Amino acid sequence: MFSFIVQRLMVGIVTLFGVAVMVFLIMRVIPGDAAVMLSGAGAGAVSEEELAQVRTQMGLDRPLVVQFVDWAGHVARLDLGTSLRTGNPVFDDITRRFPYTLQIVVMATLIAVFLGIPAGVLSARYAGTWIDQLLQALSIGGLAAPSFWVGLILILGLVSLFQWSAPLLWEPFWVSPVKSFTQLIWPALAVGLRQLALIARMTRSIMLEVLGEDYIRTARAKGLSEWHVVIRHGLSNGLLPVVTLIGFEFSALFGGLIITEAVFSVPGLGQYVVASILNRDYPAAQGIVLVLAGIVVLGNLTVDLIYGWLDPRTRLRGAET
Amino acid sequence: MTISGPSNTDAVTRRDVLKTGGAALAAAAAGPQWALAQGAPKRGGTLRVSNGGDPPDFDVHQSATYLTQFVTAPCYSTLLRADPNDYDKLIPDLAEKTDVSADGKTVTFHLRNGVNFHNGTPLTADDVIYSLERIRKPPRGIVSPRKGLLGNVDSMEARGSHTVVVHLTQPQPDFLFMVSNAFNAIMSKKVAEPLDAQGQGMKRQIVGTGPFRLTQSIDGQIYELSRFDGYFGQPAYLDKIQFFPIRGEIERGAALQGKRIDAGFFFPNEGVLQTLRRVSGMTELRRPTPTFINLIPNIQRKPFDDIRVREALSLAMDRESFIKTVGPLAGAFFHSHGLMPPGSPYSLSEAEIKQFSGYDTLPGLGGNIAANRQKAMALLEQAGVPKGFKVVILTRGDLPAFRDSAINLSAQFKNIGLDVTVDVRDTGTFYTMETTGNFQLVAHSVGMGGAVPDQILGEGYTSYGGRNYGNWKDDSLDNLFREQSRELDPKKRAALIKQFQLAFLKTYYQINLAWVGYGAAHWNTVKGWKALPDIYANMQMDKVWIDA
Repeated sequence: MFSFIVQRLMVGIVTLFGVAVMVFLIMRVIPGDAAVMLSGAGAGAVSEEELAQVRTQMGLDRPLVVQFVDWAGHVARLDLGTSLRTGNPVFDDITRRFPYTLQIVVMATLIAVFLGIPAGVLSARYAGTWIDQLLQALSIGGLAAPSFWVGLILILGLVSLFQWSAPLLWEPFWVSPVKSFTQLIWPALAVGLRQLALIARMTRSIMLEVLGEDYIRTARAKGLSEWHVVIRHGLSNGLLPVVTLIGFEFSALFGGLIITEAVFSVPGLGQYVVASILNRDYPAAQGIVLVLAGIVVLGNLTVDLIYGWLDPRTRLRGAET
Repeated sequence: MTISGPSNTDAVTRRDVLKTGGAALAAAAAGPQWALAQGAPKRGGTLRVSNGGDPPDFDVHQSATYLTQFVTAPCYSTLLRADPNDYDKLIPDLAEKTDVSADGKTVTFHLRNGVNFHNGTPLTADDVIYSLERIRKPPRGIVSPRKGLLGNVDSMEARGSHTVVVHLTQPQPDFLFMVSNAFNAIMSKKVAEPLDAQGQGMKRQIVGTGPFRLTQSIDGQIYELSRFDGYFGQPAYLDKIQFFPIRGEIERGAALQGKRIDAGFFFPNEGVLQTLRRVSGMTELRRPTPTFINLIPNIQRKPFDDIRVREALSLAMDRESFIKTVGPLAGAFFHSHGLMPPGSPYSLSEAEIKQFSGYDTLPGLGGNIAANRQKAMALLEQAGVPKGFKVVILTRGDLPAFRDSAINLSAQFKNIGLDVTVDVRDTGTFYTMETTGNFQLVAHSVGMGGAVPDQILGEGYTSYGGRNYGNWKDDSLDNLFREQSRELDPKKRAALIKQFQLAFLKTYYQINLAWVGYGAAHWNTVKGWKALPDIYANMQMDKVWIDA
C-alpha cells in the first residue's frame, strides 16, 4: 500500500510540473498584455515608454526561461508570488477564498450523494414503474439544466416568493455556521443538482446490473427482506463505480464553480480564476491553476485509495505493477 | 472674473467660463452646500451598493474604470466639483476661491484652510501641485491615461501654503472643467511620492480628504468606507458605504430586488431595468452620458485608408435601426447631431448633419437606407473592394455596448456585400489588439468623464487624442481643435466647434453611431443622491442618507 501511495504521489508531482509549464506558457502565449491591463491603457493615452516601464517593474521584460525558473523556484518553496492585481501574496488570496469554494463543493456533494444514491436505488428497484419514470425524467432535467440557470432561478425565486436573498457579506463556516449555511446552500444546490442527477443515473444503471446477479437471487431465496437484499447485497457491491464518479466530480467541482460563483457573487476560487485570467495577472492565474491541479491530483489519489479499500483486488493489482 | 460665493448660486457655469477669460469661484467655509428636496436628512446607517466587479486597484489617477472611481470618489476631493443640482455648474470643493486672469492664461486656486487628509496631515498647495503634476507628467512607473486633460498646463507654482497658481500655454475656457474631472483627485504628496518612487503608486491605499475613508477591502467580497469625521465640509450623513462587487447585470438586479443592496448604478440592459421598474418602492432612471459608440476603421490598413470605403460603411448603417436594436441591450438609446453629446449647445443642425453620408438615418431625419446602401455598394466598387470582401470587426465580449454593437454592424454590412465576421475577445486581448492597431474595424464605446468640448473633441477626435485607435494624422483638424480650445469669445468658439465637427465628420475617420445612457436603480429609502448626465460625477455620497 505504501509503495502504491508513493508511486501515485510521484506521478502527481510530474503531472503538476507539466501543469506548471503549460499554464506558464499559455498565459504568455494568449494575446493580451499584463502591462496594458494594469495601466488602464484601454482608456487611451498611455505611451509605449510607460508600458515598457510597467513591464520592467513586473519583470516581464526578462527572457521567458528566466521568468519560469524564477517562478518555479518560488513555487518549490511554496511561494506562489504576489498578485499583480490585488498586491497580496497569491497564497493568501487563495487561502482566504478556499473555504467558500470548499464549503460549496462539500455541500453540493453531500446533497448529490444523499439524494442521488437513494434516487438511483429506488429507480432501479422499481424499474419501469412510474416511480422510475419520474426519477429518470427529473435526473435528465437535472443534467440538462445549466447550473447558472438554476442559480438565477433560485435567486429570483427566493426574491419573488419570500422577498429574501442571502446577504452579500460572506462569512466562513467557522465564524458563523448558520449564516454561512444559509448563504452557501443555494450555490451548492445549483451545482449539486447536476451531480445528483449524474449519481442517480449511474447508481440506477449499476443497480439494475447488480440486482440481476445470481447472489442477489440466492439472497432472496434465503428469505432476506427485500431492502436488506437491495442495500446490503446490491448497493454495497455496486457502489464502486459510484464512488469513483463522486471522487472525480468532487475534485472537478473546485475548478467548475466559476459560473455559479459569479451568479451568486461568492468570493471563491472560481471568481479568482476569472479575475486573474481576465486581468492577465500572471502569478495569480498560474498559482490558482496549479492549486486546482493539485486538488485534482489529490482527489484522484484519494479515489484510488478508497477504491483499493473497497476492492482489495485493485490494491493487489497496483502492488503487482 | 472672480467666481465666489457661499452657495451654488455663485457657482461657475459653462457659459460664465465662456463669457470671458477671467473668472473666480468661492465658497463659504462650511464647504459645498446644496439642498435636495427629499425631506430632512437623517444621520447614520449603511448604504450597500453594487459595483460591477473588483476595482483593479485604488489609484484613481492611473485608472480608467468606474470600478475604481466609484469606490474612491467618496474618499477624495477635487479642486472644484460638479453641482449636483446643475451639471453645467462647478462649485468649490478644495479650492474655496478660484481666480482666472483677464487673459485667461493664469488660474489661481485658493485652497481652504484646515483641510486634513485621512491620515491627519494638513492639505497644502504642495499636495495639489504634486497631484496635478502626477496626472500631467506622471513619475516613472506611473501611467496617466488622462494626461491630455492637463496638456495645456505650462507650469504650476505654490504661493504660500494654500495658493496654487497654474500657468497655461494658451487660454482655455474649459480648463476648470478639465481640472475638476472626477478622476483628478487631490492626493497627499507625503503618502504618494515615496510610493511612486517605488513604482507602487497609490494602488493599495486611499488617503484623501473626502467625506469617507477606506476601512475594509476584501478582494471579491467588499469595499467598505466609513465616515471621515475630520472632513472639511459638512460631515456625511451615512455611517458607512459598502460596495459589493457583482459582475453580472442580472445578478445585480436580483441583489437589488432581494434587498441585498440598496442601490445599483450600472444597468445598461433595459430588460433588467424594466424588471426593477415594476418593483414597488424602487426608483429607477436612465440618463444619457458622455459615452459614445463609434465605428473606428483602422486607417493604416487597406482598404480603410480610402475615404470612399469609410464613407460606404457610414452609408450602410441604418442608425435608427441600430438604436432600436442595440439600445435595449446596451443602453444605446440616444443620438445627437454631430460629435457632441445629446443636448449639447454645440450640436449641428439637421441640415448640417444630413450632408454627411449615412447620418440621415438618425431618428427623425427621414433617410432612405436602401438608397444609401446602393450608394455604398457603388463607392465600394469604385474603391476596388470586391463583393464578398472579408472584414473582421474586433470587439470585446464582456460589455454589451461593444459586443452587441459589433454584431449589429456585421449584419448591416452584409447588406452591402461585405463578408463580415465579429472577433469577440476578452478584455485583455481586446485592449492589446486595439492599442497596437491589430484590427480592421472596431466598434468602440468610449465613456468620458465630462462633456465639455475640450474633453470630448480633444480625447476623441484629435490625432493625439487617447481614442485615436484608427491611427489617423491630420494637422488641420488638430489646429482647428486648438483654435477652438483657446477662443474666449463664446460665439466665435461655438462657431469653431461647429467648424471642427463639420471638418471631422467629412473624413469618416470615426463614424458616430449612438450615445449610451446608463441605468441606475435604488430603493426609495436611499435619499439625497442625484444622477447627473455623467456616470462619474456626484459619486462622493456625502449628501446621501438612508430613510429607513
